[in-house]
Amino acid sequence: MEWASQLCENRGLGSKMTDSKYFTTTKKGEIFELKAELNSDKKEKKKEAVKKVIASMTVGKDVSALFPDVVNCMQTDNLELKKLVYLYLMNYAKSQPDMAIMAVNTFVKDCEDPNPLIRALAVRTMGCIRVDKITEYLCEPLRKCLKDEDPYVRKTAAVCVAKLHDINAQLVEDQGFLDTLKDLISDSNPMVVANAVAALSEIAESHPNSNLLDLNPQTINKLLTALNECTEWGQIFILDCLANYTPRDDRESQSICERVTPRLSHANSAVVLSAVKVLMKFMEMLPKDLDYYGTLLKKLAPPLVTLLSAEPELQYVALRNINLIVQKRPEILKHEMKVFFVKYNDPIYVKLEKLDIMIRLASQANIAQVLAELKEYATEVDVDFVRKAVRAIGRCAIKVEQSAERCVSTLLDLIQTKVNYVVQEAIVVIKDIFRKYPNKYESVIATLCENLDSLDEPEARAAMIWIVGEYAERIDNADELLESFLEGFHDESTQVQLQLLTAIVKLFLKKPTETQELVQQVLSLATQDSDNPDLRDRGYIYWRLLSTDPVAAKEVVLAEKPLISEETDLIEPTLLEELICHIGTLASVYHKPPSAFVEGSRGVQHKRLPARAGSGESTESPDVGQSVSGVSDAPPAVIPSQGDLLGDLLNLDLAPPTTTVPPVPSSMQMGAMDLLGGGLDSLSGSHYRTEVPSPQPADFSERELGGDLGGSPAMGVGVGVGVGVGVGLGPAPVGMPAGLGAAPAVGGGLGDLFDLGGGVGMTSGSYSPPRVVWLQAMKAKGLEISGTFARRGGVIQMDVSLTNKAMSVMSDFAVQFNKNSFGMAPAGPLQVLTPLGPNQTVEVSLPLSSTGPVMKMEPLNNLQVAVKNNIDVFYFSCQYPISLLFVEDGKMDRQVFLATWKDIPSDNEAQFQIKDCHLSSDAASNKLQGSNIFTVAKRTVEAQDMLYQSIKLTNGIWVLAELRIQTGNPNYTLSVKCRAPEVSQYVSQCYELILKN
Amino acid sequence: MISQVFILSSKGDHLIYKDYRGEADKDAVSIFYEMVTALSGDQPPVVMSHKDLNFIHVRQGGLYWVASTKTDASPFTIIEFLNRLAALTKDYCGSLCEKSVRMNFALIYELLDEMVDYGYIQTTSTDILKNFIQTEAVTSKPFSLFDLSNVGLFGAETQQSKVAPSAAATRPIMSHRSEQGGKNEIFVDVVERISVVIGSNGVLMKADVEGEIRVKCYLPTCSEMRIGLNEEFSIGKSQLRGYGMAVRVDECSFHQAVKLDEFDTYRILKVCPSQGEQTLMQYQLSDELPCAPPFRLFPTVEKDYGNRLLIFLKLRCDLPPKSTALNVSVTVPVPKSSLSLSQELSSPDQTADLQLKNKAILWSIPRFPGGAQLSALFKVEVPGLSSASLLEVGPVSMSFELPKHTCTGLQIRFLRLSPTHPGLSQRWVRYVTHSDSYTIRI
Repeated sequence: MEWASQLCENRGLGSKMTDSKYFTTTKKGEIFELKAELNSDKKEKKKEAVKKVIASMTVGKDVSALFPDVVNCMQTDNLELKKLVYLYLMNYAKSQPDMAIMAVNTFVKDCEDPNPLIRALAVRTMGCIRVDKITEYLCEPLRKCLKDEDPYVRKTAAVCVAKLHDINAQLVEDQGFLDTLKDLISDSNPMVVANAVAALSEIAESHPNSNLLDLNPQTINKLLTALNECTEWGQIFILDCLANYTPRDDRESQSICERVTPRLSHANSAVVLSAVKVLMKFMEMLPKDLDYYGTLLKKLAPPLVTLLSAEPELQYVALRNINLIVQKRPEILKHEMKVFFVKYNDPIYVKLEKLDIMIRLASQANIAQVLAELKEYATEVDVDFVRKAVRAIGRCAIKVEQSAERCVSTLLDLIQTKVNYVVQEAIVVIKDIFRKYPNKYESVIATLCENLDSLDEPEARAAMIWIVGEYAERIDNADELLESFLEGFHDESTQVQLQLLTAIVKLFLKKPTETQELVQQVLSLATQDSDNPDLRDRGYIYWRLLSTDPVAAKEVVLAEKPLISEETDLIEPTLLEELICHIGTLASVYHKPPSAFVEGSRGVQHKRLPARAGSGESTESPDVGQSVSGVSDAPPAVIPSQGDLLGDLLNLDLAPPTTTVPPVPSSMQMGAMDLLGGGLDSLSGSHYRTEVPSPQPADFSERELGGDLGGSPAMGVGVGVGVGVGVGLGPAPVGMPAGLGAAPAVGGGLGDLFDLGGGVGMTSGSYSPPRVVWLQAMKAKGLEISGTFARRGGVIQMDVSLTNKAMSVMSDFAVQFNKNSFGMAPAGPLQVLTPLGPNQTVEVSLPLSSTGPVMKMEPLNNLQVAVKNNIDVFYFSCQYPISLLFVEDGKMDRQVFLATWKDIPSDNEAQFQIKDCHLSSDAASNKLQGSNIFTVAKRTVEAQDMLYQSIKLTNGIWVLAELRIQTGNPNYTLSVKCRAPEVSQYVSQCYELILKN
Repeated sequence: MISQVFILSSKGDHLIYKDYRGEADKDAVSIFYEMVTALSGDQPPVVMSHKDLNFIHVRQGGLYWVASTKTDASPFTIIEFLNRLAALTKDYCGSLCEKSVRMNFALIYELLDEMVDYGYIQTTSTDILKNFIQTEAVTSKPFSLFDLSNVGLFGAETQQSKVAPSAAATRPIMSHRSEQGGKNEIFVDVVERISVVIGSNGVLMKADVEGEIRVKCYLPTCSEMRIGLNEEFSIGKSQLRGYGMAVRVDECSFHQAVKLDEFDTYRILKVCPSQGEQTLMQYQLSDELPCAPPFRLFPTVEKDYGNRLLIFLKLRCDLPPKSTALNVSVTVPVPKSSLSLSQELSSPDQTADLQLKNKAILWSIPRFPGGAQLSALFKVEVPGLSSASLLEVGPVSMSFELPKHTCTGLQIRFLRLSPTHPGLSQRWVRYVTHSDSYTIRI
């Protein structure tokens, strides 16, 4: 035990290798002593000596000089000694390749040993000696071991192929080891299968295009079988391999999911996460209306929650993953808010992650609870955590409108504590709340101004200055406040300087008489005394704008700002998709794609989620829907994306005065259009299509001079254009009068255009679905009920046939509906006057009203009906076409239509394909009108007819639609916008039914 | 795939270093140590990267257990593996500390060789490993009943007669060749952790219990063990069995080796325990505790004349009178500018002091019998006391230990071994509930 006690004495040596005294005095003697001991005859002494050598090796001492002596100990039947020698060999073989060859003979001999432990040990160690020369000796023994009778040897050999491949890939291919490895996937021992899969997966990564890991339904089946028998670690290899497979259809996908689901209750969190990865990926292929899809969603929550009771290290990794899952599928954890509440003894990094997830899960249903928690957090000790908690309150206000008022009062309470960093954070978030809900909470400004002096962080100062500038007209001493900031102008950070400049210009435009001096002062500070080009250029722009045309300046600087978007710091959809494919790996912890931190060839291929089966569903998830509506891939952020700006521009041509009409760059489509105010038309069209380049000057005015708190990077672009504006007295102001003049004329033109759709011929009757059997006789003691729904003369009717297939007479019929989504209820009794004899059928028309009790059903158009007769009560459910609910006065005024379309957020837009429809646009319009889908306007662009249609439901919900029909193309595109987006899908189904009937 | 595994002492000494794939340098060890010691408070330490090398580590037994990888490996796999490695080291060497790792490095290298090959984890089960491991463990001292440095699960319980000495559960499992003094014992522990949030109005806002059944086995051969749980034990909200008070949990997961064929009907877990420590079953219960939370606090906070803050706490223990809570400590955050504290406590074995670093009062109660009520008055000197600083008082957090008590009511009815060796094997069942996060808002 000497070596051990010696080690203990020399603790600390590893980190302090410069302990020169130790080395100079003892090194030589020690090596010498060890040499003698290694060559001793006594086995025990030899063993102790090798242990000492390895102990020295671990702490970083160079004992390579002993190589020959240690290798001499290799030929022994003592397994313990052999293992120790191998340990040494693996460490030093690389630095002594020539001597390593000396050991080869023993390895080859050991591979023939009757003891499988020794055979496996030999083949394992040989693979770890990373010397090129040794590889040629390795091939024969490896070949034998791959076919060994003992599974322990085979599984070791399987890994050895991967080792050899790393040293000499060509050799492995030439020797045919890859084929042998593939055969091992069908091995009877699950451990061998798992290692073969792991080895093949790794080799396949360095040959991206090879067909090495040929995943087909047969191999998948083998893997799934091995999955049940493997050790936990083997299960991980297999699950990770499964995740790379793309099932052929949703049925295969479902059957794999079913077999993977039991892994979710495994005690090993790595197995659970690998299973979650497979499920999240394959789920993408399942149709959402499938029952199984819902079951799967429910099954995913408990294992994720369980992870949060693990050690903090695992919790952290789990939370990073949950963060991704919540962004992709919030429905999985929407009821689990409480588990994300922080515990006081959580490490800070766990607390911060939990907070982030809490915000992502916040909704109207749980906001009160969340706010109460956040308020508690904001009084805790840890500064970082408190800051984040205060920010979180602000994010809640922006995300859940109903809570805004409560959030603001909570923030005010926190400001009262006067704790410096709390006040600063609170001011930063209140600024965002102002941006989201303008003219609502300005009463708190007075309180904010009291805390002006305590602000020392640039972000908080900038936020406060923005508030003062924006609401200068309500703050009596705004000029004094801003002036006080101006004193130390050059010591401020750029962010504050830019903000101060804009705020003072705003103030000047609002109170020109008192503040002329102030504005001159700031403009000269910005333009003459500053080295910062952003600041200088912004100063020049304002200066020229103000000196040339103050009215225009007012239009530009005080323009109405777009509202900020609800959700900030979401991960970009494409990246999110890729990260979902990497759940449970480092990528999911860093929130970066693997290519960002894994070197070289490995993992460069970007993984994508598989596409969902079926066409009509493609726009269900909001991110996809967004890219369809043309907002491109830009991540949602506080700064409005292109889409919002275009949306605002759409507003310009119809809402007449005030704003500027930007000149439209001529584009390809314009040439093809008629003279009817083409430019404007293409503008309003630009909301639907992406090709129209965004008009720069307007963009510029809204974004930069409007003075939001955007960072300086975007500034550069804006300024480039802006200088042009200033010098040439550019397009923006000049364009305005022209635009104003044009507006009325255009309005008329558009009116004509819209009339086209209005007068189209008369209706051809409402759509009624074919009759179906709702209740089978065998389930209802002989009563069969079939029927359909129809809308006749503004009344919804349920046409029911009751057939008596029993032997006895039925009487006393009555009907009742369960609460349903649109409050449908029988408007009268079920009129079956005479008793129903055996084999008799009676047809009844039951008028329905839509004023009954309401409860949301799944699916939305589900109706649960109870029918009673003298025998029993029977229940069935049926689905009615939502077109039943389309009322006759559903034609919207075209002006209102455009305004409404613009007003509904683009997130609510859903797009559908209607395939194989051969109607002309007029015929389609006619047919739809029969079912109360009214064409508000029609427009033709490049052989494409666009029908703008409106629908009103019985409960007053408006649905707006755009139907695009291309001549000669049987596939129509339908975009549906509605404030209740869950309706869209059903509306599209009705379109399909009506058009094809 | 794991590139390297290394174990460092808290001072950064290299205890174990194993390179599996030869793709990273040994410098990585020092780089890791520099990084981990330079971390600031809010940076998550679990996963760190340096150039293209990623470090994942856990801390156990005062040591850093680190793995490095160059691929996009699964951190879950690696953390689970490192935890298992630490547990196995403990099983094989008896205890987990710098000294035992230093003394048993040859054994640990052997373990590492069998557990991982070329970065692929092969196995972590003692059953499989014991076929391969040749080296014997070196224990630091002869096993002694009076070894106070090894405080076991239930530090305070060692005096009591029917309880195994805590050190009995901290010895190496490898006794198949050296049979000297190795007793045939098996320990079954039911350990629960409770976290509770009680709102300022006294309403129970959140209550979670996480529990596990742990087995530590020193039996050389044991074909099957049957553990009977309460018969009325039920899982999930809807499933209720029998009459009266059911023992219910929300979620349950089991060790791979547990056979559940008799679980559904008789609530019996069948397992062939391998040597060493295993967690047979983990369960959790949220929001619906079958009994009242163990502690209730009735606080009064007011401003006294001048700059003095008065905090009056009345703390009641709602455990049954037979039970006792041990090592109860109550932490009350106070305003940041607090200077000094004077207190009135109800008995001399309690202590209270103001911790200036954390700005909190720490009130410790070594023993707290069930049904009792204690009170304490704290007077805190706070210069510049304002009504806003009253907001800084709270929330109160507590930590404690409840021996022989489970919050879910889970009990072990019986423990049967087959084949039975009469008199040869000793079976121990122990229960304990620890506080995880017990917060009472003011």
